Amino acid sequence: MQRRPGSRLLAVNVVVGALSGADPESLDFAMQLVAADSDWPGAKVHIRGEPLALQCRACGHAFETRKFELACPKCASLDVEVTGGRDLRLESLEVQEVDA
Amino acid sequence: MPKKIRLEKQVLLENDRLAARLAERFAEAGVFVANLMSSPGAGKTSLLEETSRRLGGELRMAAVNGDLATDRDAARLRKAGLPTELVNTGGGCHLNARQVTDAAANLDLDALDVLFIENVGNLVCPAGFDLGEHRRVVVSSTPEGDDKPAKYPVVFHSADCVVLNKMDLVEVTGFSTEAFRAWVRGLRPDLVILELSCRTGEGLDAWLDWVRRGVAEVRERPGRSK
Repeated sequence: MQRRPGSRLLAVNVVVGALSGADPESLDFAMQLVAADSDWPGAKVHIRGEPLALQCRACGHAFETRKFELACPKCASLDVEVTGGRDLRLESLEVQEVDA
Repeated sequence: MPKKIRLEKQVLLENDRLAARLAERFAEAGVFVANLMSSPGAGKTSLLEETSRRLGGELRMAAVNGDLATDRDAARLRKAGLPTELVNTGGGCHLNARQVTDAAANLDLDALDVLFIENVGNLVCPAGFDLGEHRRVVVSSTPEGDDKPAKYPVVFHSADCVVLNKMDLVEVTGFSTEAFRAWVRGLRPDLVILELSCRTGEGLDAWLDWVRRGVAEVRERPGRSK
């Protein structure tokens, strides 16, 4: 943004995994305050929850859960591997650039 | 035209980078590192005091102790014979890899068999911060209730060992060991649960063996297995 003066930050897209330890609502609350006080007070903050993704080691079935129900829905095994939902990540920025 | 810039940047990238460097440093030194997490008052400090008293003649140990304020826990650990680096986090509710890097710089890691990291008492945020440790220990205690694993699944899911302290109070607190075990099994069927009481000493031997095993494993294979 510093390299292109005049460009504006429109939105920040954040992904919160179920196993990240972050609470999407609290993060949203805090980030709205930070955005309002930033150089781009109109910037929107979009927070998207990402479910816990698992793969059963017993039967290979891949599935997702939002409620920490970790047992495989196909074979009921608890021997599952976490394949997604660990991260808290900044997915993308939406910017309005000025024409050069 | 609005433009979308894809970043896919992990927010904890900087912590993870420092944690990876810490893990390398711990492996070089051949020191077994355990990160202890629990709610305030579950008994992390008591567990480390007893560990120091009972294993002090056998293993060379030290601790990094994180607390919001005061040096009370660090003073207790030092009194029990455990050299301790204190990190006062001020308002911080967890230790991060930078704080542990700075604290570890004041310790002679090469002269240690075990480094315990006593995290800030909190079952939420510490789970998200890798500190380069070999093993994560969650200390729970019977007065907290038997449904703690259900209410704080992230930290329990990340653990390698659960210490269930204050077993001497199990009668008065109405705590169900079976229910606690069932909640843990639902999250991680393979998770080791060690029932003990730091006050009476009951069950401590199994914990001391767990520490000895960690030391032996790191001597054989210093890097992280997870």
